[in-house]
Amino acid sequence: MDTLVTTKRTPLPWGYLWALLAPLTGTVLLSPFHNIIGLSNAALLYMLCVVVVAIRFGRGPAVFTSLIGSLSFAYVFVPPYFSLAITEINYLLTALIMLAVALLVGHLTARLKQHRDYALKKSRENAILYDLAQELAGTSGRLAVVDAANRFFSRLLDARRTHLHFPTDYRDSEPEPLSATTPATASTVPPALLRLCAERREFLSRPTAPGESVVLLPLANQNETLGVLSFEVAGPALGNADALKFVETAASVLAVALARSELAERMHLAEVKHTSESLRSSILAALSHDLRTPVTALVGMADTIALGKLSPERQRYMLDGIRTQAMSINQQMSKLLDMAKLSAGKLELRTEWQPIDEVLGATLQLIKAQWKDREITVDLPAALPPIRIDAVLIERVLWNLLENAIKYAPADSPIEITVRHSGHELELAVADAGPGLSAAQQENVFELFQRGRSESDIPGLGLGLAIARTIMTAHGGRITAHNRSGGGACFRVHFPLEQAPALPEADADREKEQKGTGKSA
Amino acid sequence: MSQPETILVVEDERHICESVAAALEGEGFQACQANTAAYAAVQAASCRPDLIILDLGLPDRDGVDFIRDYRAWASTPILILSARAEEESKVAALDAGADDYLSKPFGVAELLARVRALLRRRFSPPQDADPLLHFGEEGASGRFTVDCVNRRVSRNGEPLHLTQIEYRLLVFFAANPHRVLTHRHLLTQIWGGQAVENHQYLRVYVGHLRQKIEANPAQPRHILTEIGVGYRFEP
Repeated sequence: MDTLVTTKRTPLPWGYLWALLAPLTGTVLLSPFHNIIGLSNAALLYMLCVVVVAIRFGRGPAVFTSLIGSLSFAYVFVPPYFSLAITEINYLLTALIMLAVALLVGHLTARLKQHRDYALKKSRENAILYDLAQELAGTSGRLAVVDAANRFFSRLLDARRTHLHFPTDYRDSEPEPLSATTPATASTVPPALLRLCAERREFLSRPTAPGESVVLLPLANQNETLGVLSFEVAGPALGNADALKFVETAASVLAVALARSELAERMHLAEVKHTSESLRSSILAALSHDLRTPVTALVGMADTIALGKLSPERQRYMLDGIRTQAMSINQQMSKLLDMAKLSAGKLELRTEWQPIDEVLGATLQLIKAQWKDREITVDLPAALPPIRIDAVLIERVLWNLLENAIKYAPADSPIEITVRHSGHELELAVADAGPGLSAAQQENVFELFQRGRSESDIPGLGLGLAIARTIMTAHGGRITAHNRSGGGACFRVHFPLEQAPALPEADADREKEQKGTGKSA
Repeated sequence: MSQPETILVVEDERHICESVAAALEGEGFQACQANTAAYAAVQAASCRPDLIILDLGLPDRDGVDFIRDYRAWASTPILILSARAEEESKVAALDAGADDYLSKPFGVAELLARVRALLRRRFSPPQDADPLLHFGEEGASGRFTVDCVNRRVSRNGEPLHLTQIEYRLLVFFAANPHRVLTHRHLLTQIWGGQAVENHQYLRVYVGHLRQKIEANPAQPRHILTEIGVGYRFEP
């Protein structure tokens, strides 16, 4: 792993010692048998020795071995034996050829070894880069890129205080507060140096203290410098060109990731902007259509009455109409206010332990005041566990569900309310005999401004169910919609059931009851 | 009671003020108007109203403060007008001494019904009546009689067994018909001052009482829930 900066090599003297000892030892061991071995075999043995040393220690020792070998060969195996004097020209030629071949073989072998080492190192580097690229591929956001860079350089170079400077950090001469996306570990790199690095788009390194230096790497794509990465390392930074190349490759990988994350952020912002704009336009459309229509009716009816040419019955009818329209506007305004309050994020639940039937009873009381003759059946189990709810908000949920059922189901069809509870959940269902929900409606019925029938005379803004869902979610519960098997829609709200706190006084009162009963009997 | 009752309408919105006053005059009441809390205090002293209809959102002063100051010297019933979803301010006003509230927008019929109920109570306080309280009708949930001397309750002549707390709760409800009673008010009356925050007690006993006196406890006819505020007893 750490081959990058301090390329580990066996110290040279050690290699030369081997280069000296190997042929000499061989010569000493084989010298008693010089008659048996023969000249050419001995030459090959020396060659073998050269190859081994070349593989193990590289070119220098191999050349040294071939020299020593040639001398030993001439001394031991070439007649006259144990003398460097070579009597026949033939033998001199043999010794010289052997030296030449040994040099060549040693050189080739050493080159081979170099290539192998290099390939090995490259593949290791590639693996590391691949790891980095893979890590970056799975991340999003600047912070993740900074994190990955931090891990990468500290693992690789033992780098400290890895820091990503964005153009905003160094572009202006006055020191700016660090942007929120950069880690808290403040960097002390002078902005001028960062600017230099960004402008030149090349690696910079400056000593900071004895044995310490700061390294600056530009992260750039073709067009611009996206940022400057700085970190501190011990010793002179990135000694050789290879290591520098590698670090620059890593920097380009980081630059791509950074560019991608910035693009993603920009896209996300654009998307948010688009969504909020389309929400805004649908709010405006809803307001202009669904609120202006009843207001227009109000003005029209008021003017008609003011003309004073209506029969008393028609006048009464108009006045009733004015009242109904005004109440309808009021309800829509209330829902808009509810939604505004809920979406402002300031929803504070005032929860209390209470049975659902109390809230349900109060809601039905309100519903009955507005729709006197609508048939609503209620199916409640005898003993209901109390739930922790904000009664005011849950009343809005129930009202919205009942109002929808009344609005969308035929006027003569009954609405059924059923409450059930299991070990961990209490469920209240509001079922109607209306047209039910289409597949698309089942998907988006709880979204804002989704109307059951948008081009209809049924008043509404499409807020009721969105409000209900927001309130239920705030209660840790949920709301679901489905079609009944016999036709019609059914909306269910689910409340989590918890253990209510005990009421010790309840028992005290029971005892008194028995005494009281005894007295009155 | 040959003299028409005087009603002070305190409301800063001119159209509401006018229409309320017109509706009251149409019913034979005498209406005087005020559009600020300061002027309302002057009017309250000069008109000597039998009832005050008070909007909580006045331009110059908090309506709740006005009620507190007014209650220091007068017990005239006060009917509050307030927007929906302002439960806290309703509760604060009721606890400060207001007698009832109406949520805006309200119908004139509802307003007049509340006004009559409050005036009736003013002229016939229940403690002056006999110690037998009656409510309900034969046929529906039944005709109830509360005998406050012998501490007995009967339905259609049959004795009904209540616990002490249930009995106290029922008597208090029956003695304050048509009136919004806040949770705090009820807890103070029934349990004493130490239990004012424990709304769960109250809910449990109201639940028990409903089981005993309501024909359909889930859709009560007598003890009505005012969500976020308290209860109202309808005899």
